[in-house]
Amino acid sequence: MPRKKSKSRRRSPRRRARKNRSLPWGRLLITLLVLLTGYVAFLDFQVYRKFEGHRWTLPARVYARPLELYSGLALNATQFATELKALGYRFVSRPRRPGEVARNASRFQLISRAFDFWDGREASRPLRVSFDASRVTRLQDDRSGADVALARLDPLEIGSIHTARQEDRILVRLDEVPATLVKALIAVEDRGFYRHWGISPRSVARAMWVNLRSGRVVQGGSTLTQQLVKNFFLSNRRSLGRKLNEAIMALLIERRYAKDEILEAYLNEVYLAQDGQRAIHGFGLGSRFLFQRPLDELTTAQMALLVGMVKGPSYYDPRRHPQRARERRNLVLQVMLEQGIIDRAAYQKARNEGLGLVTPEAGTSKTFPAFLDLVRRQLRRDYNESDLVGEGLRIFTTLDPQVQWALQKALDRRITPLLQQQPELQGAGLVTHSANGEVLALAGGRQAGYAGFNRALDIQRQIGSLIKPAIYLSALEQPQRYNLATLLDDSPLQYEQSGKLWSPGNYDQRYHGQVMLYQALAHSYNVATARLGLELGVPRVIDTLRRLGLEKPLNPYPSLFLGATDMSLIQVTRLYLGFASGGFQLPLRSIREVLDSQGKPLQRYDLSVHRVIDPAPAYLISTALQKVVGEGTARALNQRFSPQLGLAGKTGTTNDLRDSWFAGFDGDKLGVVWIGRDDNQPMGLTGASGAMQVWADLYREAGATPQQLLKPDTVTWHGIDPASGGLADRGCANTVQLPFIETGALPPPAPCAGRSLPDWLPGWLR
Amino acid sequence: MKRSVVLICLLLGACSSAPTRLPPVIDGRTGEAVPPPTTTPDDSVAPGVIVTPLPPPDAPPNGAVVALLDQAEDYHRAGDSNNEAATIERALRIDTRNAALWHRLAAVRLEQGRPQEAEQLALKSNALAGDNRLLLVSNWQLVARARWSLNDSDGARQAEQRVRDLGG
Repeated sequence: MPRKKSKSRRRSPRRRARKNRSLPWGRLLITLLVLLTGYVAFLDFQVYRKFEGHRWTLPARVYARPLELYSGLALNATQFATELKALGYRFVSRPRRPGEVARNASRFQLISRAFDFWDGREASRPLRVSFDASRVTRLQDDRSGADVALARLDPLEIGSIHTARQEDRILVRLDEVPATLVKALIAVEDRGFYRHWGISPRSVARAMWVNLRSGRVVQGGSTLTQQLVKNFFLSNRRSLGRKLNEAIMALLIERRYAKDEILEAYLNEVYLAQDGQRAIHGFGLGSRFLFQRPLDELTTAQMALLVGMVKGPSYYDPRRHPQRARERRNLVLQVMLEQGIIDRAAYQKARNEGLGLVTPEAGTSKTFPAFLDLVRRQLRRDYNESDLVGEGLRIFTTLDPQVQWALQKALDRRITPLLQQQPELQGAGLVTHSANGEVLALAGGRQAGYAGFNRALDIQRQIGSLIKPAIYLSALEQPQRYNLATLLDDSPLQYEQSGKLWSPGNYDQRYHGQVMLYQALAHSYNVATARLGLELGVPRVIDTLRRLGLEKPLNPYPSLFLGATDMSLIQVTRLYLGFASGGFQLPLRSIREVLDSQGKPLQRYDLSVHRVIDPAPAYLISTALQKVVGEGTARALNQRFSPQLGLAGKTGTTNDLRDSWFAGFDGDKLGVVWIGRDDNQPMGLTGASGAMQVWADLYREAGATPQQLLKPDTVTWHGIDPASGGLADRGCANTVQLPFIETGALPPPAPCAGRSLPDWLPGWLR
Repeated sequence: MKRSVVLICLLLGACSSAPTRLPPVIDGRTGEAVPPPTTTPDDSVAPGVIVTPLPPPDAPPNGAVVALLDQAEDYHRAGDSNNEAATIERALRIDTRNAALWHRLAAVRLEQGRPQEAEQLALKSNALAGDNRLLLVSNWQLVARARWSLNDSDGARQAEQRVRDLGG
């Protein structure tokens, strides 16, 4: 619902005019009067409608996740500083006001901003945050030194959803606007504001005199009220009829509304700047747009600049015409000094200040069009487009700016150097939280902040070996038949189906003989996998894929075992969340909650989980995916990460190197990366040489969390002799530890086992 | 009151049994298995090395989580189960492996008449509960209640059997 002011309406002019009807005037005069009255009533209605309705049209605002600070949080000082910069915090030597921060190496003192969340207002407070190399070591109240358990910063605003007119504004109440700014505005634009009735004959006379002398319209004698009317109806024509209309409407507004209400409307309505398609209205957004901070944090010089821009938003655009804007600002400061709004010291200080603009390129991008695209699609499922705009909704998303920046940087860093040879090279990435399914980051192409084809959502590509864990899981779910040490045959295979011969080969064009099941997955052996798939049967594998949340139609052919099916990054993510979460299916969520303009939750997207793999096989497949990193196709990751992190993942490469995939997870997040070309031509990268490198950069930058798989009671670790795949004992020299389901079949004893003397012999004999 | 005492017990219990098991480590640079420690008769301690950034097993419960649980308790007393659940979710983002928090969310969903979600959340809690028997028993009791209300009597009896197996 648009916010409506509950105001008792005064008697309309129409009703008043009725009394005049009985007067004995001439017919003509009566007709004229009726027409005029009707016209005035019409204007009055227009003014009323604008003021009460349109005035409060607000786009929906979209926010990233708020940063929750607590002792132990995995975040380093550099990341914290980046986030504060993006939030528009000012780095000062001593923080005095909200939005200011002082940094001393790895210690920050800041005054946080107040913000209204779904559970009420998070108050502004002085905080002291200390870091070591990878975490917050202490969070304190900066005044008392007392430990603070938890503090939530204001969230980064990452976008808004507009009306067709693309007007954007941040509503402010009059009492939120600094008095200095209001005084300056009145001093510069309309000194008689609190005395006139909407029009000021004196300034009109002055303007007319100036215009007559120069022979054209050079000056307007508009009051703030008239300017408000002009802004309401968006016309720049300066015809006399238009002026007259404006004047009548100004008088009508003044009759209906109090001065402060008019002023407040003006402060929110005035057009101040243009940002591409988006029109920046009102001082609240103007302040954010130019300086990236709320109104109450502006310096005197910044307020003067904003006030100066009212006269000509494009002529005095400080980004395009900095010199002109500076002169205009100093003129405003001069007026402020003359009118006693500021003293000479403040005047001198402000005059010497730079413009203090935030350039959109500076720092780290705050536009995430690909992620917003996902948010918009989710919203469109649940809302009408018309409900989304104009109601001032606030949408709190799951975007983690730290992960998003890391993802974009990683894609850029890996793809840009290759563009010389491969100008068409593209990439996409999707990072989700593996415990709750929240989308932390999404990149739709190699360029950050570029709103275009969203590859993370819209490409469907062959996934190659990424499909293999589903086949191995299907096997491990039959513990009587299969375990991680089961020997698979990786020798030449020819399979005939409906007259066609299928003979898959390995990527290294060699055969590996008898290999343990986990090794076949770790090294991504195609032939062993194909044979395993044929033993299991296509239907069983499809059933597993369905359980893991894959809904798309699948071809029931054995080529499915080697990933001959197209999938999107979202579908791959869904599949791997099943492994990364320890056997649960999680709906992907990009929105946490939607609040109405009053701050009440309209809708929540609740956390939900659904067990789709039993704990024991889930543990086994995750262990096998750790082996992919430990010793398999992703082992290069060990050069950049401690093996003790227990990273898990799978590479995927398709025919002729058309697609390079990697899906990998640490203890809390799953990252899926794709590299390829839009025209699906070969581009020369394998899963390990392309997408996995991006993944590694991403996790280096965003931080990797150790993964501890929780062993179910029904699983036991045993030593295995790698040469034979048999159960080892002390007699075996090199063993591999593997988990087994207790109720399932164990491998036979290895040849090396049983040679050692029995345990009951005294130690000196053994 | 009683509820919050139980809750704190669960929370502390879950923390005191914080997972210390790690998967075996393969040294990828050489491609060879790191020799397992010589004394691994107890399979519950899989070979491997403790990773430094993990909280020690006797670490006190995360203060931020405790603060949020207090807040959730306030919502509970005020009968606002939606905000109670949202607050527990907020705590879960901070400590995703805290089995007691998953249990708590399951309990709220059951109270809200959402037994299907409650059952699954309790199973998730179980997956993280390790050998915290008190929590395992509470979860299976909750699963049984959820399944009874879903008319899944076989499933409910199985869950009750689990409770008995655990001596609950």
